Amino acid sequence: MRRHLKILEFALSALWRRRFKNLAIVVVYGFTIAVLASILLMTDAMRGEAEQILIGAPDLVVQRVAAGRHDLIPVDYAEEIRGLPGVGEVSPRYWGYYFDAFTESNFTFVGIDDGPPYELELLEGRLPSAPSECAVGEGVARARSTGVGHELTLISHDGLGVIFDVVGEFQASSSILTNDLVVFRNADLVELFGIPEGRAVDLSVEVFNDGEVSTVAAKVKRIFPDTRPITRSEILRTYDAVFSWRSGMLLTVFAAALAAFCILAWDKATGISAEERREIGVLKALGWSTRDVLELKFWEGAAISLTSFLLGLIAALVHIFLLGASLLAPVIQGWSVLFPEFRFTPSITVYQLFVLGFLTVVPYVASTVAPSWKAAVTDPEEVMRG
Amino acid sequence: MRIRPAIIGVAWILLTTLGAGTARATDPAPVPGAKDRCGVCGMFVAKYPQWVASIRFADGTVVFFDGPKDMFRYLLDLGTFRPGATSGQAAAVFVTDYYSTRPIDGRTAFYVAGSDVMGPMGAELVPTADRSHAETLLKDHGGERVVGFGEVTVELVKP
Repeated sequence: MRRHLKILEFALSALWRRRFKNLAIVVVYGFTIAVLASILLMTDAMRGEAEQILIGAPDLVVQRVAAGRHDLIPVDYAEEIRGLPGVGEVSPRYWGYYFDAFTESNFTFVGIDDGPPYELELLEGRLPSAPSECAVGEGVARARSTGVGHELTLISHDGLGVIFDVVGEFQASSSILTNDLVVFRNADLVELFGIPEGRAVDLSVEVFNDGEVSTVAAKVKRIFPDTRPITRSEILRTYDAVFSWRSGMLLTVFAAALAAFCILAWDKATGISAEERREIGVLKALGWSTRDVLELKFWEGAAISLTSFLLGLIAALVHIFLLGASLLAPVIQGWSVLFPEFRFTPSITVYQLFVLGFLTVVPYVASTVAPSWKAAVTDPEEVMRG
Repeated sequence: MRIRPAIIGVAWILLTTLGAGTARATDPAPVPGAKDRCGVCGMFVAKYPQWVASIRFADGTVVFFDGPKDMFRYLLDLGTFRPGATSGQAAAVFVTDYYSTRPIDGRTAFYVAGSDVMGPMGAELVPTADRSHAETLLKDHGGERVVGFGEVTVELVKP
């Protein structure tokens, strides 16, 4: 044990002797890890947020389409759909996007009948239950500097200002879900948006058996040719494709940085400087065994890798969760320019750490130990002569 | 000495119906635990809540199945799977309705054979609560025929 510690001490002082060269390696190495970790953490956080949305998503959503454009659906369609075998509750939904001219951002308005639309946690207050009441998301409250007990003024479909009392403010485990959300009673929303009598934005359909969803969707399409049924798995696939595509694009851009890192590692792996070679020769001449030399090189590699890994990881965590991924967000989110600013829910898994470590630390340590082994097994005299 | 089997038979019936006879047909359907296995193939059944079938015997014991097909194989061959038992001792039979995914009485259910709906063990006899639903399923999923509980034969449930 003592021997190992002595070798470790020697390794650390050896690193210190060449501190500027090693510092340069740590900076490049740490930066590479920070970028890689940022992309990984961010894609995962985004996917987590999207999954949160889908927890409460209905099995099947039926929209009406007029010449390929989304149109309001007659509420009577619900009766016939409810009669199909395997179908449970069919309820009309009222919701829409609202461009807020004061803050130049988009809000999402959702109407409720009874009970919350998804599993949402209220930060404070309650859900709207009387006319002219609403509950707002954190982002909306911040943008319009309002909150529980205050008012929210909106412009209705006929251009008149309407005042709502804010009775609740949301806090969901996923902020993308409630950040830009304003919840009203269905009747208020119908009036605000000017939705004609007997129409709804779409219908949410409950299907008991997951295996039967596509059959029900096909039947709905057959009975009402002017509708477009969207299954939950389709929504899931879309989200997945969007995020995979975006993170793939980022990885492509980042490939250059990864290539640079590979060249650095390759450089270390193939060439070992004359000075290092001489040092190994001296150690061997002093009576160090090949095993000791390899252990020394292993400690050196491990110290550099772990320092860079930790620095890179901390930089990535600060970037994603404290600074809201300010450098990457515009690329990955895309449509978020009009979106009230939001923060990711911090999360990191052992799996992510393992992937990162395996992609960076292991190749580096291996590439520092391999050439030293070549130098260490040759005769010390030959090594010192060059 | 001829009377002896009869006495044993009467005692058996008394024991099962009065003594340990706690099970009634009207009891709610048993819910499988994570460790419960299919009485025929040995697969864990809780993983397939849309297919679970079960038989509750008069003595209160419950046997789970991962689909109606295995349940029928068990019921039609009690001699192999539960030596000494008769089909009369099955107090309640439950299957899971395809459309509502809730447990229903297996004896009054209608089963669709030869459809493209696959259970955990491949082709299944798909249970539905009433005949109209069974006919719909037959049409939607290309089934061959609709059978009642009593019409299921060994040939129909061959593995």
